Amino acid sequence: MRTPSGNKVYGMAAEYPSAAALYEAAKRVRDAGFKRWDVHSPFPIHGMDDAMGLGKSWLSAPVLIGGIVGFFTAITLTFGPSWFIYPLVVHGKPYDWRTVPAFFPIMFELTVLFAAFTCFFSMLIMNGLPRWHHPVFNWNRFSRVTNDAFFLVIEARDPRFTESEARQLLEETGGQHLTVIHED
Amino acid sequence: MSDRSHVMPTPEGEYFETSRFAGLSMIAGVVAAIALVLCVVGALVNPQQFAYSWLFGFGVFFAICAGCFFWIIVHHAVDAEWSVVVRRQLENIASLFPLFLLFFIPIVLLRHHLYEWLVIPKGTDHLLDSKRAYLNLPFFIVRALIILTFFSVMAYLFRRISVAQDRDGNPAHTLRMRKLAIASLPLFGFSLTFGAVDWFMSLNYIWFSTMWGVYIFAGAAGSSMSLLILIITWLRNSGYLKDVVSIEHYHTMGKWLLAFTVFWAYIGFSQYMLIWYANIPEETEYFILRNVESWNLMSLLLVFGRFFFPFGLLLLRSTKKKVKTLCILAGWIIFMELVDIYVIILPELHRSGMHLSIWDFFPVIGIGATLLFFYLRLVGKTSLFPTRDPRLMESLRFQN
Repeated sequence: MRTPSGNKVYGMAAEYPSAAALYEAAKRVRDAGFKRWDVHSPFPIHGMDDAMGLGKSWLSAPVLIGGIVGFFTAITLTFGPSWFIYPLVVHGKPYDWRTVPAFFPIMFELTVLFAAFTCFFSMLIMNGLPRWHHPVFNWNRFSRVTNDAFFLVIEARDPRFTESEARQLLEETGGQHLTVIHED
Repeated sequence: MSDRSHVMPTPEGEYFETSRFAGLSMIAGVVAAIALVLCVVGALVNPQQFAYSWLFGFGVFFAICAGCFFWIIVHHAVDAEWSVVVRRQLENIASLFPLFLLFFIPIVLLRHHLYEWLVIPKGTDHLLDSKRAYLNLPFFIVRALIILTFFSVMAYLFRRISVAQDRDGNPAHTLRMRKLAIASLPLFGFSLTFGAVDWFMSLNYIWFSTMWGVYIFAGAAGSSMSLLILIITWLRNSGYLKDVVSIEHYHTMGKWLLAFTVFWAYIGFSQYMLIWYANIPEETEYFILRNVESWNLMSLLLVFGRFFFPFGLLLLRSTKKKVKTLCILAGWIIFMELVDIYVIILPELHRSGMHLSIWDFFPVIGIGATLLFFYLRLVGKTSLFPTRDPRLMESLRFQN
């Protein structure tokens, strides 16, 4: 979607006076059936996930897989050398599976490490990060989002998006300073 | 966000109708009386076995009640909002602590069967002689009195201030409780640690572990949170707290269960690994005793039952958000606390393998039923949740 002057449109944005107003607006936008939209606030708002109709994040699946991979990596790295490749008697302890208590810390650490890395990088990928710029920063008022302002942006790529419908919805929910945000 | 339209109960409070549960109260009283009479019989017939059995029952319920006290103070200290609606039940359970001064009497009377260091004469064991400055009867009794009095007085104070706030709604009470809670945190740590060292660790005066107090605490916190889940569910099934405690509160309690399942395993394994690695005879004997014969099965049951099984299930959000599965797990964790304390105490008597005696049952039943009887008398005296706590509204509309 483009403006008459040829700029690509990112979405329709509105500012709200309070977290409560933003919360109510989010419920209306959710009920109107929009899928590609987001809210921006200086602090997390409890209950916003439900108000936006967001389900459970699927981040936990890659984290679980990362943790399991880390666990088996640790098993390979500890038992491989100590039991098969280079068995060595340490402290008079056996070097077969019975020495497993010595390896639990490594299994624990690698499980946590792999899970944490998977969590961090999956989060970046899911959020499309890192990136240099985001279209919402084209709007001057948006710089107050880390301070005292509450915003709601409906993206143009939402299949239900039309400029008039989005504008009407945001106005009805009490949005102020409605604006069309350009892509670049 | 005052303009959110949620249906909120009026802050008038809900009151437990004691008369409705008179039958249950009577059953608890009768069971307690019969079990305690049988305890006296046990003490006369087989004092040695009974001494250990009684210490087992005492240990389980001491851990659970101390855990409830911990949950009160930690939530006050960090100014937690979610826990306000369930706090009164924690206060009620912790207020049963004066009874433990009575429950401690059999331990004092039967002390010679339990604690070898009381029997061995001076000059026979140099190791023991060097520990006598701590391990002697007067100091042992003074410590027990200080520990149990601390819990009794502080639990009474927390409940009294909390109930006083129900009447006048003065937010200053919350600040007082927060100050008391922060002062109580280190004192709680000392009390639980010295209690664990005196009553359980000194069963074998040679053995020692610096992680002992934390280990007992880890089990106590998990099992007391389990008991809280069961009591809240029982109240809800009886028709109380319907609009007060929501699934979000269950979710948080489930998260605590998960946290203390992991914490218990972490502490238990750390204690085990350091002793296993260093391989010093006076330290390893504790684990050798518990890893031979049938005790090995009990130790393995703990490893899998107290950690792997609940851990795997509690990882899932759906477990924590379903009251029924959470309650089954909570019951299981309390059962595991019984096994844990059993494996701590009874191997010192039956050194060649597990030997379940009939006298093992009566102390647990007797102490448990007595506590239930007095809990039922206490629960109806005040509202089932603090009605005028300044954080109540936040707690009611709590979301994860």
